[in-house]
Amino acid sequence: MKKFHMIIDLEKCVGCFNCMLACKDEHVGNKWLPYTDEQQKHEDKWICPELTERGEAPYTEVTYVTKTCMQCDNAPCIKKYPDVLFRRSDGIVLIDPQRAKGNPDIVNACPYGNIHWNEELQVAQKCTGCAHLLDQGWTEPRCVQACPLHAIQTVFCEDYQWDQLVETQGLKPITSGENRPRVMYKNLYCYNKCFIKGAFAFDKDGIEEAAVGIKVELLINKVVVAETETDFLGEFKIDRIPKDSGKMTIKASMDGYDPILVDLEIKDKSVVLDCYKFGTDELGKPAVILPNEHANELAVQHMTKADAEETKEAYGK
Amino acid sequence: MANESVEKVLKLLDKTIVGGTLFSLDKLLNALSAVSSEFKDELKQYDITVQLRLKDKSYGRYFKFRNGTVTGYDGINGDARVEMIFEDETVARKVTALIRSQFDFVNAAKNGQLVLNGPDDEAMWFSSLLLKVFAFDVLYLKNYGTKMPNGEMRYTTGTNGGPLFVYVKDGKIVRCTPIEFDETDAPMWTIHAKGKALTPPRRATIAPYTQGWKSMVYSPNRVLYPMKRVDFDPNGERNYENRGISGYERISWDEALDIVAKEIIRVRQTYGPGAIFHTSGSHHNWGNIGYYLSTAKRFFNVLGATTAQLNPDSWEGWAWGGQHHFGGSARNGGTEPYNTVEDCLQNSEFIVFWSSDPESTSGNYAGQEGTVRREWINQLGIPCVHIDPYQNATAAFVHGRWICPRPATDAAMAIAIANVWMKEGLYDKDYVKKRTYGFEKWQAYVLGEEDGIDKTPEWQEDITGVPARTVRGLARYWGTHKTYLACGSMTSFGSAGRTAFGTEWARSMVCLIAMQGLGKPGINFGTLQYGTPLDCKFWFPGYADGGFSGDFITSGAGVSTYNRMPQTPSINSEYQQIPRLRIPEAIMEGKAESHVMGVYSVHQQFGTIKYPAPGHERVRMYYKYGGSHIGTQPNSKRFAQMYRCDSLEFVVNQAVWFEGETKFADVILPACTNFERWDIAEFASCGGYIDKSYLQNNSRVIFVQHKCIEPLGESKSDFDIFQMVANRLGLWQVYSEGNSQYDWCKRYYEATDMKNVMSWNKFIKKGYYVVPPLPENRRDPVAYNWFAEGRKKDTPELTPLPSEYYGRYGEGMQTPSGKIEFECQTLKRFDPNDDERLPICTYIHSWEGVGSVPYQKYKLQLISPHSKYSFHTMGDLKDTNINDIQEHRMLIDGHRYWIFRMNPKDAAKRGLKDHQVVEVYNDRGRVLCGLELTERVPEGVCHSYESCADYRTLENNPGGEDTVEVMGCINNLTPGRFITRHAHGLAVNSCLVEVKAWEGGKVE
Repeated sequence: MKKFHMIIDLEKCVGCFNCMLACKDEHVGNKWLPYTDEQQKHEDKWICPELTERGEAPYTEVTYVTKTCMQCDNAPCIKKYPDVLFRRSDGIVLIDPQRAKGNPDIVNACPYGNIHWNEELQVAQKCTGCAHLLDQGWTEPRCVQACPLHAIQTVFCEDYQWDQLVETQGLKPITSGENRPRVMYKNLYCYNKCFIKGAFAFDKDGIEEAAVGIKVELLINKVVVAETETDFLGEFKIDRIPKDSGKMTIKASMDGYDPILVDLEIKDKSVVLDCYKFGTDELGKPAVILPNEHANELAVQHMTKADAEETKEAYGK
Repeated sequence: MANESVEKVLKLLDKTIVGGTLFSLDKLLNALSAVSSEFKDELKQYDITVQLRLKDKSYGRYFKFRNGTVTGYDGINGDARVEMIFEDETVARKVTALIRSQFDFVNAAKNGQLVLNGPDDEAMWFSSLLLKVFAFDVLYLKNYGTKMPNGEMRYTTGTNGGPLFVYVKDGKIVRCTPIEFDETDAPMWTIHAKGKALTPPRRATIAPYTQGWKSMVYSPNRVLYPMKRVDFDPNGERNYENRGISGYERISWDEALDIVAKEIIRVRQTYGPGAIFHTSGSHHNWGNIGYYLSTAKRFFNVLGATTAQLNPDSWEGWAWGGQHHFGGSARNGGTEPYNTVEDCLQNSEFIVFWSSDPESTSGNYAGQEGTVRREWINQLGIPCVHIDPYQNATAAFVHGRWICPRPATDAAMAIAIANVWMKEGLYDKDYVKKRTYGFEKWQAYVLGEEDGIDKTPEWQEDITGVPARTVRGLARYWGTHKTYLACGSMTSFGSAGRTAFGTEWARSMVCLIAMQGLGKPGINFGTLQYGTPLDCKFWFPGYADGGFSGDFITSGAGVSTYNRMPQTPSINSEYQQIPRLRIPEAIMEGKAESHVMGVYSVHQQFGTIKYPAPGHERVRMYYKYGGSHIGTQPNSKRFAQMYRCDSLEFVVNQAVWFEGETKFADVILPACTNFERWDIAEFASCGGYIDKSYLQNNSRVIFVQHKCIEPLGESKSDFDIFQMVANRLGLWQVYSEGNSQYDWCKRYYEATDMKNVMSWNKFIKKGYYVVPPLPENRRDPVAYNWFAEGRKKDTPELTPLPSEYYGRYGEGMQTPSGKIEFECQTLKRFDPNDDERLPICTYIHSWEGVGSVPYQKYKLQLISPHSKYSFHTMGDLKDTNINDIQEHRMLIDGHRYWIFRMNPKDAAKRGLKDHQVVEVYNDRGRVLCGLELTERVPEGVCHSYESCADYRTLENNPGGEDTVEVMGCINNLTPGRFITRHAHGLAVNSCLVEVKAWEGGKVE
């Protein structure tokens, strides 16, 4: 029997929230009994992206992580409430809206927070995979249909085919995976791994130049574990480093100079290094320069005559 | 209703229409009323006699309507209440077949060969009855849309963010989904680039505010009944100062229309021409007939009203600056788009996104159509950079380094890039020599030969905050790779062009691309948003092409629709205008002045308007359409002050929702949404000032906008409201030619190429049509390639106008030299010494930036670009599901706060924490927001979208000096000064503020 699966690709999510809105469009104000009763207008979201950031300006990376019921094969919610929740033959886990009435504890049966309590109707609810539509011949749930790049994708396949997909596409569960979720993520590293970003420069004729196209290595315990090159801005990035990886060293090599070695530690965040300059102990200019004490003089120099006079007068006071 | 009887009626209908006769009208009407009780009710409305006759009375037939039954008699009846008089038999024959010959009908009416006499309401009733006969199967048998197996009806509609399938059951919208094409629709195109075949998916995409539309239709904040301000008495005390404060009471349509019509007549008779002022929001519910440029234009034309002189508020810099270098006045400084998507993917080696965020704004109206193409950039691995003070949605999605200059300093960075190119020879010297004018002048400035300031990357460092090595690295890479320059949402837009002297940024963009060879393969303007390989020969006009306005002068109808759709012309006899950015000053101070933005020529913008116009008094009545100005216009507290002064004797607002500005009206007329009325339009098609804007799409999708549900409450379509007001002024035929909105949709269809590819019956059943794309070997030439190669212009557009070629027609750019001008001769002739806009592009420091006067008190630079999740104010608040997007509004203590974004370091300096209520303030106002800490802005820069839909002060004192605005009207804080002295353009992204924790307690 082909089963319902979902792949969420973090690199393809543009953060439009169409999935959440399509889910609301389908379920707010519409009863789809016996599948589910109406969703609360604002209080609950059965699927929703969450904005996450790595790095810092200007090396910020944004990833939206969409979370929804994972239709676990080994669903803890069913285990806890076998009379209320059930799995269909296509793998979709549903809550019986009649039996889920009046028992807010059901919400706690999902360790991932994907069951919601509808205060108004006094019933536990969650994503149904739009089973009411699939049963009418729709090929995908509303959230998938509304997704511009199909960053959310449904796959109906046999278990063994799914295992193959997990393998070939490098799909990862967002949790530990112990309950065999049927919703898996692609490019999860954007969310749960760290990167190191940095820049190198050198002085030439009194001008600070970007060190373009030089070799940058990542060493752990003096062993090279990754290698890259700086880009046209003299910057490099090494990604997919697990959190809490501990101490490591960045080594940058440029012809005619001693290599630069920077020690760092990966904890739970990405690391943005200062700009290091070959042939000197000084640091290069930071990637964002803050206004200095001469800002006003500089401003006046480039203002129109009238604006400059007004400004001079104001600052003169 | 038995199918058999319907069939019989349809046959009879056909026979009657095809037979071209109205003489058997009685039989027809009786037969129709037998199958539709709704129609019978219409017949019952009047018990009168109607006479049809020739002018010379040589022939006539009259019909007696009695309790819903019609009896016909030959001859002339002296007691007829309504008379339809034909000049002669030929006219009668032609007109009675009007369904097939709108042309003859309009012509006869225009020439006075067809006259309808009688009391307005009765004549109107009879005339509309005739038209309803022709639309009987649609209006009464509901023979449209697609019936789904589960009993739901599937209709289509269009929105500002893409077309929709609308599923309806029991008169209620069940769901709205994107349109997925079926097997009978045209195939998609393929671009072959860098070893890959790239094809977009077979569907139309939608923006978030479109997916939220159902919740907008059923919003509890809909205006459902005509309303009158409780303390407004048109015959007594008007209590102007209470506008925005006092509440409303429900009144009947009759009462509302009486007040409005009486006020129109009183104000016009008392104060003369131009006493009525009308504006719309920039945007409106989708649909070419219902759009404000159609219905409202027609109405205010027949009325004669003072209008607003509009500023190109999304692309000021290009309009007032950029176009002097390379023309493009038809798009107010916009660039050619043709086939740049293919060229970019095939030939470019680098893409510079500069103040470009099509992912947030959907380009313009284009759903998520461009998203897949920008994903191809990621797939093909074309390197990119993103230059913007905020790491916008496009920068977040498309790979590439984010470079964040301080707001309004972009021109300094661009000039430094040119400096590197000049010094290192990294530009196309041959192109500059052959295709440009005045390079030496600009070079002298850039290299500091005149002012002694060499504009190096080091020079710009302290201005922009971007280190010299980054700018130099960027300049070298750009100078050695074929580069696409992506500016704004399509091309030539962008929030950098809405800063102090944002003109100089736009100008610098043109100068940079001119140095690299605009139009050579891989070198062009484009964001992958505009310029898909679609068929632009298939003619279907956009919303700015006039709709049914008949306005061939101030809409695109003159060049587009008017010669295709027979219609009576309409012209606004009133030439008085108020500059939109000075509406409050005009009302409160009684005068205002600005330059005008035209499309015919580049130098048109040197002209000025002055309010009041000669021989005019001030405007006394404001007929506002919708309610967005307080959210969208700069320094917008002024609007609240304006409404509360006594200069405006009467304010009427025709609105779908209770938005911030709606609440300032004396009378509110409830308009329905486009889901509740008929219309016809195309996906993302503006026409007019953004010619062929559908080239943003992966397919051209033309659709009927079904009346999906009945209007909610007592709301009515804008068309019907204007019709009702017009009726009271005796203007009913003049306004609509007696046609309904449905009739106009059909006439519109008949005028376009749609009629060649799909019958009306099929069109209104299926709902949409996909125009087949061009085959690969017939695609349009790439934009400006003709110019780069010295050919005559061969891109498919009529503009510029012939007179705008100073040399031979069709050769060269729309500049005096026909070349791209580094030194603009238009500006030089206008004022060579205007230090706010010199003939060459220079960097001019902002009056409200780092080091300026207000910087002493306010250290944070705020930018407020167009919002991502609402379409301007549409979708925001009103209890829609858009508000559930946690990036749109922030829920704290039960109040949904507008979001203010700030770097964590700036917050730490001020002791502020994530997700707390803050007061954002400057000398212009105080606004409460929810604080979001993010690394998507650097230190010193803050971000918050414009377009809050509501306006509410804590003290219930709208416009008051020290009031605190609680809904998030960021535009209360932005400056009202023009972008540059001789322009009528806003500079909202040059705004200094400070932020502190809000200690005033919970907002109720």
